[in-house]
Amino acid sequence: MVIRGVFRFFVLLLAGLLCGQALGAVTITDARGEHTFDSTPQRVVTLSWAMTEDVVELGVKPVGVADIDGYHTWVVRPSIPEGVADIGTRDEPSIEELAALKPDVIILANGQEDLIDRLEQVAPVLYFDAFSADHNNATVARRIFRKLGHLFGKEDVAEQKLAAMDTRFDTLKQQLHAHFGTDLPRVANIRFNNNAVVFVYGENAMSSYVLRELGLASALDIPPSQWGVTQKKMVTLSTLKADDVLLYFKPAPGVEKLFESPLWQAMPVVKAGHVAGVVSTWSYGGALSLRYLAEAMTDALLTIEP
Amino acid sequence: MSGTDTLASPRPALWQGAAGRYLAALAVLLLALLWHLHLNSTLSLSQQWSLILGRAPETFDDIQFVYAALPRVVLAILVGAVMALVGSLLQQVTQNPLLSPMTLGAASGAWLALVCVSVWWPDLAPDGRSWFALGGAVASVVLVLLIAGRSGLSGLPVILAGMATHILMGAVATAVILLNQYATQNLFIWGAGDLTQTDWSWVQWLLPKLSVALLVLLIAPRPLALLRLGDAGAGARGLSTGPILIVLLMLSLWLVASAITAVGVISFIGLITPNIARSMGARTPRDELCFSLLLGATGLLLTDSLAVMASDWLPDLLPSGTAVALIGAPALIWFVRRKLSAKDQTALQLPEGAARVSRWSWWLAPVAVMVLVILGLCFVPDAFSWRQPWVAFQWPSDLVLSLRWPRLVTAACAGVGMALAGLILQRLIRNPLASPDILGMSAGATFALVAFTVFIGGSIHEAGPFVAFAGSAGVLVLLLLLGRRAHYAPGIMILVGISLSALIEALVQFVLAKGSDQAYAIIGWLSGSTYRVSDAEALWFAGGTVLLFGLSLATGRWLTLISAGDHMAQARGLNASRARLVLLVLVCACCALVTALMGPIAFVGLLAPHVATLMGARKVWPQLWLAPLVGMVLMLFSDWLGWVLLYPKQMPAGTLAAILGGSYFIYLLARRRLR
Repeated sequence: MVIRGVFRFFVLLLAGLLCGQALGAVTITDARGEHTFDSTPQRVVTLSWAMTEDVVELGVKPVGVADIDGYHTWVVRPSIPEGVADIGTRDEPSIEELAALKPDVIILANGQEDLIDRLEQVAPVLYFDAFSADHNNATVARRIFRKLGHLFGKEDVAEQKLAAMDTRFDTLKQQLHAHFGTDLPRVANIRFNNNAVVFVYGENAMSSYVLRELGLASALDIPPSQWGVTQKKMVTLSTLKADDVLLYFKPAPGVEKLFESPLWQAMPVVKAGHVAGVVSTWSYGGALSLRYLAEAMTDALLTIEP
Repeated sequence: MSGTDTLASPRPALWQGAAGRYLAALAVLLLALLWHLHLNSTLSLSQQWSLILGRAPETFDDIQFVYAALPRVVLAILVGAVMALVGSLLQQVTQNPLLSPMTLGAASGAWLALVCVSVWWPDLAPDGRSWFALGGAVASVVLVLLIAGRSGLSGLPVILAGMATHILMGAVATAVILLNQYATQNLFIWGAGDLTQTDWSWVQWLLPKLSVALLVLLIAPRPLALLRLGDAGAGARGLSTGPILIVLLMLSLWLVASAITAVGVISFIGLITPNIARSMGARTPRDELCFSLLLGATGLLLTDSLAVMASDWLPDLLPSGTAVALIGAPALIWFVRRKLSAKDQTALQLPEGAARVSRWSWWLAPVAVMVLVILGLCFVPDAFSWRQPWVAFQWPSDLVLSLRWPRLVTAACAGVGMALAGLILQRLIRNPLASPDILGMSAGATFALVAFTVFIGGSIHEAGPFVAFAGSAGVLVLLLLLGRRAHYAPGIMILVGISLSALIEALVQFVLAKGSDQAYAIIGWLSGSTYRVSDAEALWFAGGTVLLFGLSLATGRWLTLISAGDHMAQARGLNASRARLVLLVLVCACCALVTALMGPIAFVGLLAPHVATLMGARKVWPQLWLAPLVGMVLMLFSDWLGWVLLYPKQMPAGTLAAILGGSYFIYLLARRRLR
């Protein structure tokens, strides 16, 4: 009991220190430059799903979010807490609803830059260029997560969650080594568009970053693009060797028909049985979505016979 | 087209000329076939040949040839041939060189059906989806044919009905896509039209359904030949054309719907090949059918080869349908420009209505505008209840006011701009069904903006008015060049409109198929939203609209004289061609202004003058005052409805205007026919 009491005391002390720090001004750099907040913003509105994800992961409950239904359909994890207001679509959020929430900060990401002027009439705006062909989307996602942690005085939460994620990567990597031996296969990861055309995740994609962290080399050379995906003919996958592994993200409706076709079955990677489906996972999310990606992809990889 | 002469001409001479033509076309087809196979396979010609002769495939390349390259070639030939055959049949039945599966709205029906299925029934198996697509295509073509009616088939009404259905269904589909992003992602390749194959399943699916094409080839030529003699002549030879024509139409509808379901939206082939066939000398009905078929197969094979080549160069895949549209649109204008002379003056009567504008009507429109403005400014959607509706009305705060007034100004100005453009155009062409969005004027601005974003980059919201003006001006120059000889006949304008809108759709589908989020921004912009217009832009818009309105009033006398007839105008000392030119420039300026600031707005340009006429504004002057007011009401109402309908989600005003306007327009056409 005594130990628990002492522990509580220290937690309270730590919290007090953090609050004290939060009372001071916060400076944060977004895609447009430096912004200074006099105090830690309390009422937050996020208009991009990736930003919503980051904020919720940090333990901050936003007051308003764009397209909650869509988020819960596509992004799924972490779920948005009850009582958060839906302020319309991501392209045309209702600025009146937004203003009624009296936010301290509004956080935007790619594709919403033209809303900035309007929204600045309501509250300070942070705009992050999260997805771009010019950078690695995953490392930028981590950087944005840290910045948001700083903004909300939750640096420790951010660091702790990122560190936990890296530890998790290591555990998963060990599982993969236990399964495949010292040499891990090269992996290509795709999403089916239809049976003839696939999206291949390239160099700067979130999922490709995860594969690298798990110690897996890329089996297809795809240059960076804004969202990290490039559309290719399905037949391109025939360049994969028998030792490689092909991961495809579900859902892939109607793909069973392709799997029965002679063309598919003639591909070296298919013949070797090195194909596995990854459970539906959002691949354009925030920093901590990397963890879900890593777990889902490892699960899929472990179903493959080495 | 004078069919009687050719029918009477001696057969042997004709056949000799035709033989050379057929041999040449066959040779090109063969070369295209070899080239296509060469592009799609790494195997040598002899290896390919041995595989075709039945050698069992061994390596992966063998299998790729048998299960990917060959089915693609077969499908390209089948689809090209069938589209062209149906196009030729339709054009011969109706004597209308602009008719094709595409202009009948088949693709948009299938597209809407597929979008709805993907959103509300995502787990449906692919086979089930095909039947939905087939059903959608059949339904929309039947709708268009019913609207146009027997008498409307040979002229503009069927084209206009097709365009209206196309825009209406497209608007509904866009609304569904905008509200359900990502759910429709897998469709975009189909929307762009792609022939890539991974097995023989689509060929096996399609082949039995296309076998009725042989039936068409067998039974069609005789009634078609008789049809050229006119209905009376055919009747004299003991043939009632009606039932046979209906059977032929049903068969071609079936063929087209099947082909579209299998490969997606590959337009133009059916529209352009019969025209090329005729310009290359195909005369008799059978000759035209067969030669179109051959040309169609060759054409699609060649364009698909280009798509395959481009996909190898580009980082992204270029769908076959995009390639066909990029080549087909200019080719269509080139081949058809001479066919559309001034004869196509299918004059349509103005709808009946009040003889003159009553005092009550004069009050109605401004009062409606006032009511909508108050609704737009003071209404609070989430405070509304049926019990206490008045609670939902509050005087807006400064912030709310600053958000709402630019929207209202933009919607109102867009209504005025489109109404003026439509009014002038309808008077100019003397066709009350003319509309700037169908005639390609807004399409020019839209095309320029979309192409700018796709090829140069940047957000479509920032591309700005200059690009839009450049696009509209480009179309204007094109219209002037093409139209001068044809005296600006509606046919040539509609042709440009059709080509451009197909080009835009192909471009948009190409961007969509790339799977980037840029696509949704473009779709959003294409649906015409007031959301992003800033204070300054709204003021500029208002200034521009007032200026254009003033200019329109100044040209009122010209409009009166021109709508009375060129001779009348000349007699009163008006240089009719110069006046036409000035008025056309005015129309283009209206379209460019609206499109640049708000995006393309469909149907308002058509409807506003109509409603004004129904209210009794039959002369130019009252129409010039009343039509802009009606346009304002239409746009303000669409904007308000889009705002409150799914609050806090917003629907773009343009989409709602297209849905409201499209439905009314179809009702109008249908009523005209039922009379």
